[in-house]
Amino acid sequence: MSAKDQNSQASDLSDSPSKSIDADNQNTTHFGYKTIEKDEKISMVTGVFDSVAKQYDVMNDLMSFGIHRLWKRFTIDASGVRPGNTVLDLAGGTGDLTAKFSKLVGREGKVILADINSSMLNVGRDKLRDKGLVQNIEYVQANAEYLPFEENTFDIVTIAFGLRNVTDKDKALRSIYSVLKPGGRLLVLEFSKPENELLNKVYDFYSFNILPKIGALVAKDGDSYQYLAESIRMHPDQETLKSMMENAGFEQTTFKNLTGGVVALHKGYKF
Amino acid sequence: MPLRPNISAKLSDHLLLPQVVTAAIERVINKALSLNNKPIFFTAVVQKTLILELTELPFALCFTVNNRPNSAEIMVRTQAEHNDCTIKTSMSSLKKLKAKQSITQLIKQDELDVTGDIKIAQQFASIAQALEIDWQTELAKHLGDVPTHKLLHFGDKIVQSLTTKGKQLEADIGEYLVHEKRLVVTRNQINIFNQQVKEVASAVDDLSLRITKLVANMAEPSD
Repeated sequence: MSAKDQNSQASDLSDSPSKSIDADNQNTTHFGYKTIEKDEKISMVTGVFDSVAKQYDVMNDLMSFGIHRLWKRFTIDASGVRPGNTVLDLAGGTGDLTAKFSKLVGREGKVILADINSSMLNVGRDKLRDKGLVQNIEYVQANAEYLPFEENTFDIVTIAFGLRNVTDKDKALRSIYSVLKPGGRLLVLEFSKPENELLNKVYDFYSFNILPKIGALVAKDGDSYQYLAESIRMHPDQETLKSMMENAGFEQTTFKNLTGGVVALHKGYKF
Repeated sequence: MPLRPNISAKLSDHLLLPQVVTAAIERVINKALSLNNKPIFFTAVVQKTLILELTELPFALCFTVNNRPNSAEIMVRTQAEHNDCTIKTSMSSLKKLKAKQSITQLIKQDELDVTGDIKIAQQFASIAQALEIDWQTELAKHLGDVPTHKLLHFGDKIVQSLTTKGKQLEADIGEYLVHEKRLVVTRNQINIFNQQVKEVASAVDDLSLRITKLVANMAEPSD
């Protein structure tokens, strides 16, 4: 499939987001543009992140021109975190959000860095320990669909650039809802659909023509970054994700487009 | 017209300018803390949040202190649901605060609005005042001793020269405006003018009194 075909398919799907939800409701799901058995997705996504874990931070800086730091800073600002809070940084990868939360919740608070992928978790743990952040951080290897925590445990749950890799997003949202305390909030930071058509085209060109080449050059793995571009296009758009959060039980659900909608921050409360 | 503020707000949102500003401030503060030579005690402000709302900025600056065993760090955010003290002021009033002008006086003049625990604000201010950075040593680490000494010596000379020239220029401009062009009046002229205004006001009062008396006389019935 040519990049052009891929782009048009992505745009078709994002124009009718219900298609991507339908695929998730059956026994099949998406792995980028491929339709695969649901059982296969975890191992395939694991393969991608095992491959890129060590170069993940460098690649993030390169791919986003460093803007991912500002998106994450915006997420922290919007989280309303306070000293003593218990925070779950789901799909926390190399721990950028965990590091900030750890400093803000203080000794009385706690941050759990959870990721399904052990390679990412190891890189994150090493990085945070090297920074001297050891007091209030725990590490858990966990699947977002089956969170191994008691109900009503967390004040805040964040999932940054992770939800699109989850096989059953609705199940994950319900699982997150369950572990949040009443009054707690979920923040989903994820790639989304640019508001402006011109920006959308530039973004498509960049994602499908430049991104995999940077991946091949730096992380020696162009395929993983091709998957990244495809998975972004297959991810539900802003309004669809908002509806999914509401269906999972979240209230006062809102989203904020960042960098013209390239990324969106969704926020919802459990009451 | 509300269009322009909307556009600038949208542009600021898209470019995440508040986050750029807070990131830069956080970096500068923590760099300064890491270069500080004097011991600073953060115990009283650990995990405390001070919000600074400046009239010149469209967003707040929220400072939270994180104290780890070997180092302290100040986090800067644009929002904080929980805070211990909020200060609403302007940049110019902040400078006055630095000059140790009384906080009470600024509050009375509506230049400063403090809510919450004022001791937290004072602790943050004392941290800022306690910073003592040996720039010469820090610069020498990168440039070497001799180039640093020469550079700073040269810098001092330039600053002195600019200060002297600035003062001279200020005096010359004052002289030119007052005496040559007569665009600005002297203090003596202002005093004379004020005296004349007072004399006119007094004469008007006298006249007014006489008119009132005359009107009263005219109104009295003649026997």
